[in-house]
Amino acid sequence: MDIQAKSTFAVSERALPDAGGREAAIERTAAAFGLSAAVTVLFNTVLAWVKDAYPPLNSLMAAATGHHWRTHGIIDVVVFFLLGYFFLTQGRTTKITDRLVIGVAAAAVIAGGGLAAWFFLV
Amino acid sequence: MTASDIILYAHPTFGVLGIMASLWVFVEALNASEANGRRIVIGSYIVAGCLLLTGMFAGWWYTELYGHFEQPVILKGPWPWAHSFFMETKEHLFFIPLILALYLPFVARINLFKNTRARAMVMVVTALIILNGLAIEGAGAIINGGVKVAFIHTGA
Repeated sequence: MDIQAKSTFAVSERALPDAGGREAAIERTAAAFGLSAAVTVLFNTVLAWVKDAYPPLNSLMAAATGHHWRTHGIIDVVVFFLLGYFFLTQGRTTKITDRLVIGVAAAAVIAGGGLAAWFFLV
Repeated sequence: MTASDIILYAHPTFGVLGIMASLWVFVEALNASEANGRRIVIGSYIVAGCLLLTGMFAGWWYTELYGHFEQPVILKGPWPWAHSFFMETKEHLFFIPLILALYLPFVARINLFKNTRARAMVMVVTALIILNGLAIEGAGAIINGGVKVAFIHTGA
């Protein structure tokens, strides 16, 4: 019984730091890609503004894939994954903080409002 | 019913399924425990999958058919703003819930019952997908209305 208890303790002791390390790695990735998501949704709105205001860019994006919307979507997805990878390798954002949660919410609201305002006014 | 009709109706269908899956993940995150972590992860992948399929079907419809058939009809009808405001906003607004949906599986893998900030992030992201999704579905209904009133107006 004693041996079994010691054995169980040894296993859990070994498992805990691994589990903690894995959890920290998952959170580090989630934080990096969370920051990337916030930046990408704002980038999406800025790209829509610039594309709409500057027809040569719209034409260039249309020529790239056959339609400007298709190019826009591909650029957004690529930016999201590249920025996420960049933030992850930089290691500056390692935890999900209140600021990051508010940042993602604020970015989505500002980006959505910016799109609606642009197409309402222009 | 043609293939293009099926694609037209598939995009809001997957959009609604994505909204419902987001609501499911939101409620699971609200009640996060050791028991429902796997359901939250599965739900997050369903949200991402539904939004990707919505984008693919909507993208095909928008880039291949809408500009040739519906857009000119709407612009000649009494509701030209159904395109100039609602479609223009909707087509770019869609990328916001898409990016959030692609992000969701990254954060849903964290043990939400232990990490309150990650739980808040999942709830914020899913709430934003739900609200954006409902706005986009509503815009789709107005665009559809723009086509109908144009046909009524012209007697076509």
